[in-house]
Amino acid sequence: MRQVQPRQNNLGIGGWIWAGNYKLERYLYILHRVTGLGILLFLLIHLTMTTVFRIQGQGVWEATMSILHNPWFKFGEYLVVVALIYHALNGLRLILQELGFLMGKPIPPIYPYRDSLRKKRLWTMAMIGIILILCLVFFYDFIAGGW
Amino acid sequence: MRNTYLWFIQLVTGALIAVLAGIHTVWMHLDAILSFFGVDAKDATKWHSMIERSREVMWAGIYIALLAVVLYHALNGLRNIILELTPSAKTERIVTWSIVAFGIIVFIWSVYVPITLLSTQEA
Amino acid sequence: MDKEKNEQITFKVQRYNPENDSKPHFHEFVVPASRGTTVLDGLIYIKENLDSTLAFRTSCRMAICGSCGMLINNYPHLACHTQIEEFNSSKLTIKPLPNLPIIKDLVVDLTTFFETHKSIKPYILRHDGKEMENPSAEFAQPPQALEAFLQFTYCIKCGICISACPTSASDKLFSGPQALAQCYRYCADTRDEGEPERFPVVDTDHGVWHCHLAGACSEACPKGLDPALAIQLLKRRMVSRAVGLGKKEPPASTVPPNTETKPKVPFPDFTVKGSK
Repeated sequence: MRQVQPRQNNLGIGGWIWAGNYKLERYLYILHRVTGLGILLFLLIHLTMTTVFRIQGQGVWEATMSILHNPWFKFGEYLVVVALIYHALNGLRLILQELGFLMGKPIPPIYPYRDSLRKKRLWTMAMIGIILILCLVFFYDFIAGGW
Repeated sequence: MRNTYLWFIQLVTGALIAVLAGIHTVWMHLDAILSFFGVDAKDATKWHSMIERSREVMWAGIYIALLAVVLYHALNGLRNIILELTPSAKTERIVTWSIVAFGIIVFIWSVYVPITLLSTQEA
Repeated sequence: MDKEKNEQITFKVQRYNPENDSKPHFHEFVVPASRGTTVLDGLIYIKENLDSTLAFRTSCRMAICGSCGMLINNYPHLACHTQIEEFNSSKLTIKPLPNLPIIKDLVVDLTTFFETHKSIKPYILRHDGKEMENPSAEFAQPPQALEAFLQFTYCIKCGICISACPTSASDKLFSGPQALAQCYRYCADTRDEGEPERFPVVDTDHGVWHCHLAGACSEACPKGLDPALAIQLLKRRMVSRAVGLGKKEPPASTVPPNTETKPKVPFPDFTVKGSK
């Protein structure tokens, strides 16, 4: 019998990004990854600014700061702060759940099935609420501090 | 249990960053709210306040600790994301060692500045 | 949907014949369906009446064998367990399970899936080899100890969790939620002492630590197994072994059989006389 190779059928990176009909936690996973990579990018730029531009003395520092007081850069900073708040709080939830703390106990599977993430969704919603509150707090500060 | 240790340190550094970066962000940004609580952050991005801060050992310590944990957490995360794309075994080794080298170089480069500024006598 | 009257449902099925086609494409079939018709019924109708070259796996038609997993309207279901009525639409798109290689049409290659399952040693491992080979007694296991892992024993190996997992989508060497949940099922079993042999298998660069709690596996599981919970409990076990916290319970001991015999009940009288 002729042996035919099965055809590869992986979703690839599309499987990371497209969450389709799945529930909340999959979207939280996508956002966690995206914010993590975004913060890494910001980190490299930030390290360059606070080392290269700081060590060269007051003149260079103040010139850089005056460029960065542009409203567009301020808005970018706010986005980074939002990403940091989301990644930190979702990360704290992940630390607790990945070590099995907020997940509950195994139960006999009786239809309709309620998996542990769905049972603890109230905690996840509370975490999202805290994230939104902190984002608003920082937004107020950006407005009060002036663009 | 090597990978278990690496991920456990990832979780621990994550918790530490939540605290240290929280202090850093709040100090830098929340001027209005901090002054409401009676804490004077002195407009943290101005040159004189930055120099004053960099002379205090506590702040220099916070910055160096934050740098170390952030570099570990971010670069370990990046390494795991790249490994999830299943490169070949040889590519995996190249990726791991280049990320480790990058991390060490960036750490040494960036820790130089707070340490030198700690001892400057500039006005 | 009405129980008596048939509605015409369009099935858009992905076809792929490796001998003729270079890439997969879709065929449309019109299938009569009423209340209670499952997707599997529709596929069998197509195979019997419209196109007998359609290939798919099916066996028990009651969600216990795990053969008929497929992607229905972009979500993995068991075809025998899915009513056409629940989609509220007259068009269904049916594709084979993703993240597993396609052999033909809707049939996927589960060889790697089973190999990964075997690699985590899905059987009780104990130090006393002689007892394993020639058992002389039962193991003592209280009901509370059984409840700690009973939920994860109901796996039917359908492969739906692998299709739902975002890490399995890109990482070909990832163990997958099924193997990791079964690894926990055996490590949590009080009869088992095989943790030192299973942990090196899942503690690799592509093992349990590439699970990031997206939770799609638990959501899609047709038997309500919650593999995500099993994997997080496995991570907890590995961290406590690595860090040295947490107490190690001794494995279940054997219970020798009851030696004292009960008094014999006398044989009852024959009710029909004359048969002695």
